[in-house]
Amino acid sequence: MDELIAILNEIRPGQKFSGAENFFDQGMLDSLDLTALVAALESRYEVFMDVDEIVADNFCNLAAIKTLLARKGVNL
Amino acid sequence: MSDLQNETGARRVLLVGDTTLDPLGRLLERGQETPQLRTSAAPYGQVYQILLDENHPAWSFRPEILTVWTAPDLTLPSVGKLLRFEFESAVAVYDAALREAEQFADAVLRAAPRVGLVFVPTWILPNHERWIQTLTWRKDIGLANLLAKANLILAEKFAAQQNIVLLDAGYWQASLGRPAHDPRMYAVAKILYSQSFFEKAAAEMKAVLRGSLGQGKKVIVCDLDNTLWRGVAGDDGADNIKLGAPDPVGECFHAFQTVLKGMRSRGILLAICSKNDETFALSVIDEHPAMVLRKSDFVAWRINWKDKAENLLALGEELNLGLDSFVFLDDSPQERDQIRRVLPQVYTPDLPKSPSDLAPFLASLSCFETASLGEEDFERTAMYQAERGRKEVIDLSGDVENWLASLQIKVHAARLRRESLARAAQLLNKTNQFNLSLRRLDEKSFWDWAEGSGNAAYTFHVSDRFGDFGLTGLASLSFADTEAQIVDFVMSCRVMGKKVEEALLGFVLAQARAAGADRVLAPPVDGPRNGPAKDFFAAKFLNDEGAVIDPARVGIPSQISLREESLEPESVF
Repeated sequence: MDELIAILNEIRPGQKFSGAENFFDQGMLDSLDLTALVAALESRYEVFMDVDEIVADNFCNLAAIKTLLARKGVNL
Repeated sequence: MSDLQNETGARRVLLVGDTTLDPLGRLLERGQETPQLRTSAAPYGQVYQILLDENHPAWSFRPEILTVWTAPDLTLPSVGKLLRFEFESAVAVYDAALREAEQFADAVLRAAPRVGLVFVPTWILPNHERWIQTLTWRKDIGLANLLAKANLILAEKFAAQQNIVLLDAGYWQASLGRPAHDPRMYAVAKILYSQSFFEKAAAEMKAVLRGSLGQGKKVIVCDLDNTLWRGVAGDDGADNIKLGAPDPVGECFHAFQTVLKGMRSRGILLAICSKNDETFALSVIDEHPAMVLRKSDFVAWRINWKDKAENLLALGEELNLGLDSFVFLDDSPQERDQIRRVLPQVYTPDLPKSPSDLAPFLASLSCFETASLGEEDFERTAMYQAERGRKEVIDLSGDVENWLASLQIKVHAARLRRESLARAAQLLNKTNQFNLSLRRLDEKSFWDWAEGSGNAAYTFHVSDRFGDFGLTGLASLSFADTEAQIVDFVMSCRVMGKKVEEALLGFVLAQARAAGADRVLAPPVDGPRNGPAKDFFAAKFLNDEGAVIDPARVGIPSQISLREESLEPESVF
């Protein structure tokens, strides 16, 4: 999980991602950050996000990202 | 107009495109490699508005660098039509596309004077756009033919504007080995290119910027055994090393040496650092029938049993170049590790394991980027070799004054001219050590400044009986009332230690006084590596407070003959 937070902080330094309920509603990430996050996760975990998976709901908090990655065989 | 001269702070890059370029911005800002950049991605799809309107809000960022990256099928509507077969006449749509390309180039030309440097990546199409392969290169109708021609229009239109660099996106695409385009991200956020393509683009842009700022590498230091050939010559015997045909491994090392020879021909200096017996190793280099590189291709060597870090330091001293301009190539991971730990400023890349990858690896390095390529570059090795001859003479004679006199140094001073501008700008931007103010300006900015009222720039061509050093000195003055300031005082390290700087300063002082200045100032800028210039001027000031030159401490050395040529500014007609 720490690694995930580090990835998020590389995109948005200084934000407190742990414990946040919805990164997008809380203004911590925007839609361009979402694309940067997808690129970072794909590169780090060698996974592929299909176009219908690149939606805010799948990346709105740490649990959601963890669930998505688990579906792709990456268990954090 | 903005330029690239602010030395320390991050440079500002404005990104303008017809698709989302924010990912490129993030990559340009990220990472520790120089130069540090700050970016602003303008809203996509406003390319013409931003380029043509200098009051567009995007310019409030006050960029020093402008990147205009467009997709051919979006910015040139007729390319899109040809691509999708939306036409009645292919010839007509092809023609229209070329006119659109000219229009785009004109818009970039309008915006270029607002910044120091403009990057325009060439137009590419995604790999998946197959089109009709039978027709794609056909004259006046083919898509590949059109794209090539449109890119050539950019090259031709930009040729006269020195601060526009057309970047070869086609090379990025070909060398990436993965799709450059990402249809997913385009669907999600109008991001046309893949993350890995943006990474490639950012790395290339930074490499070109480093080249423009004189931070490209200048020297390659090679190990010998298992680096220039396979085998240990001293143990196996010179006849048993693998080099050249018919052995496939030997062919690979031959190819590697061929790339090195090409580097040498374009002005990169080659040197050797090897644990070997010097006489024996040099005999292998000069006598092995398959060697591509000979002793005359190397400007210096340290072939001995000493520590390699110590040898690299000695090579830096001998060549008068900072170790941060060195690349060290050695097959031994232990040697590489040691150099990385002791001399982190030397770029010490891992070499590929397979000999067949050696030549492609070296040919693909981006660290040798340069803003221009001129006569000076092609003759650099010969000039350094002449320097070896000079040093051998001083070793024999022992007396420095006599030695200087024996060199018969000639300095030709001239006003900055169009034909010397490229080399003068190269000197200004590449010189770190003997550089009073460390001012960095691209060719156009420097020319405009020198032509400005109250300013004057001079170049110095130095030669001696061993050969020609070329244009190796540059100075500029700015006049205000009865005071003159030496704005630039730059000398190539190639001519350091020969009192040439004394002659240059003597000349500059004479120019200032002839123009009516009774006080000449030379405020030095405190850079990390310009100690030689600071020390030289420190001994020339009237008092400890610095900046005002004491004429009594300046004079042209008797051993140097100074000739002044055409000091009138170049005529416009």
